[in-house]
Amino acid sequence: MTDSTSTSIMAPSGARRLTLGWEASWKTSNPEIAFAGDSQGRMRLSLSEHISNYGRIPTGFTYSLVSDSLRVANLTGRGGAKFPFYKKLAAVYEADRKKGCYVVANGAESEPLSIKDSLLLKTNPHLVIDGLVMVAEVLGAKGVYIYVKDKEAHSAVNSALRERRERGFTEAKVSVIDAPATYVAGQETSVIRRIEKGPAVPKFSIDRVAVSGVKGQPTLLSNVETFAHLGLILRFGADWYRSGRSGFDSGSRLVSVSGAVDRPGLYEVSSGVAIGDILREAKAHSVRALLVGGYFGGWLNVRDENDLRVAYDDFTLGDKKLSIGAGILGVLSKETCPVVEAASIVDYLAEQSAGQCGPCINGLPEISTAFARIALSSNIDRGISELKAVIPLVERRGGCQHPDGVIAHVRSTVAAFGDEIKLHKAGKCSVASSNHHSMLLPKKAQGNLAAASGR
Amino acid sequence: MKIVIDPTRCQGHGTCAALLAEYIEMDKWHFPILNRNQLSESHLEAAKKAVQLCPELAIKIIED
Repeated sequence: MTDSTSTSIMAPSGARRLTLGWEASWKTSNPEIAFAGDSQGRMRLSLSEHISNYGRIPTGFTYSLVSDSLRVANLTGRGGAKFPFYKKLAAVYEADRKKGCYVVANGAESEPLSIKDSLLLKTNPHLVIDGLVMVAEVLGAKGVYIYVKDKEAHSAVNSALRERRERGFTEAKVSVIDAPATYVAGQETSVIRRIEKGPAVPKFSIDRVAVSGVKGQPTLLSNVETFAHLGLILRFGADWYRSGRSGFDSGSRLVSVSGAVDRPGLYEVSSGVAIGDILREAKAHSVRALLVGGYFGGWLNVRDENDLRVAYDDFTLGDKKLSIGAGILGVLSKETCPVVEAASIVDYLAEQSAGQCGPCINGLPEISTAFARIALSSNIDRGISELKAVIPLVERRGGCQHPDGVIAHVRSTVAAFGDEIKLHKAGKCSVASSNHHSMLLPKKAQGNLAAASGR
Repeated sequence: MKIVIDPTRCQGHGTCAALLAEYIEMDKWHFPILNRNQLSESHLEAAKKAVQLCPELAIKIIED
């Protein structure tokens, strides 16, 4: 970067890491939680606003400087795999880069309950681009891509890139690639294929993307939010980012909150706040259960307030076999049976198979049917024995993580709602009404469950 | 050496399972289950044949 009008900005004080910019209107009653609204009516920060908020990103980073900062900051990938980002960077750096390497920010956001990635790109694209081009420079990347979910994100990123060119930034050229609206479009290898101008479906690879990604070359691929955090860490330092916190998680996170809440939308929370505190800001009511992490995540059975005292970090959630995943909290009220909801989601996921691998094509519908028997109390023993028989025929046999994600959802449901399943077995359900309208599925995916159980 | 099957290519023709019964069985949908993948020298010829005959080019032998 050659722009010499670099503005020096002091690191902001306070706990919040402000990935989405700093606006007074986001205040909530809790200083550790900011509310960023929903996807409607928010404006993109221009380059001038971005620089006046955050200052120019410093130049002259070396690999070891970036790597050290990331390690100290304890930044993990924000797409769901919670892998330490400095390790990912090291894998690409140490790979054979003679034929070039690539850097990709994944904003496909194929989890239907997630809004964070596209809202981040629409409102604060420069912060993502800052992190992206910095890492591309350090690696000497041959190609840099942002993979986006929708037209609005595409045009926000394009406008941001144009502003940077007009300002005379000399930095890596970034290309914007559109992701189709399918569940598997966000899988790592789907992203790679799409960038290579193929269809956005997974491909089988023995090597990791870090070693063999775009055009078979080393590729650093991470969620767009990861790069935004990088843009902050490289400006204000790892110690500021951690703000005295230690342990597995640090910094802030973007959380998409949906379902039985009066204030759904995007929240930015400091690592480790209680889940109950987030739900209080979102104005959740009569909570029966919580889907944590997204459709590939897991369920928290909420019997009373104590179940919501759990800290929202992967260290604590890990004890309950849950994970922050893609930063999704889906709230289910007491008017919906959680097992029915889970079975509806599993049925949706079964239909979202890319249709490439035999075990996934054949196995997921069988899993969905068996699971629907349990959810709808039609024949629970049969459902359970069918699940036990079919899961080993599907698990770890797909070309991507899709089938394993579905199985994880089934297992989490059974582990979390043993009480509910027992009720079903006795011909009862904790929810009186037989309304099977799902709270957490996209509208277009409603209403297939009864059909699934009858297959 | 290892046997690797690309599940996105495999269409379940079953040639590999016929040639490498010690390694591969077919599931109830007629897709291959790789029970072990470390290839022993004595089965190398059969494995090479499976690679050649797979109509989908889905099976490979790789060095480990």
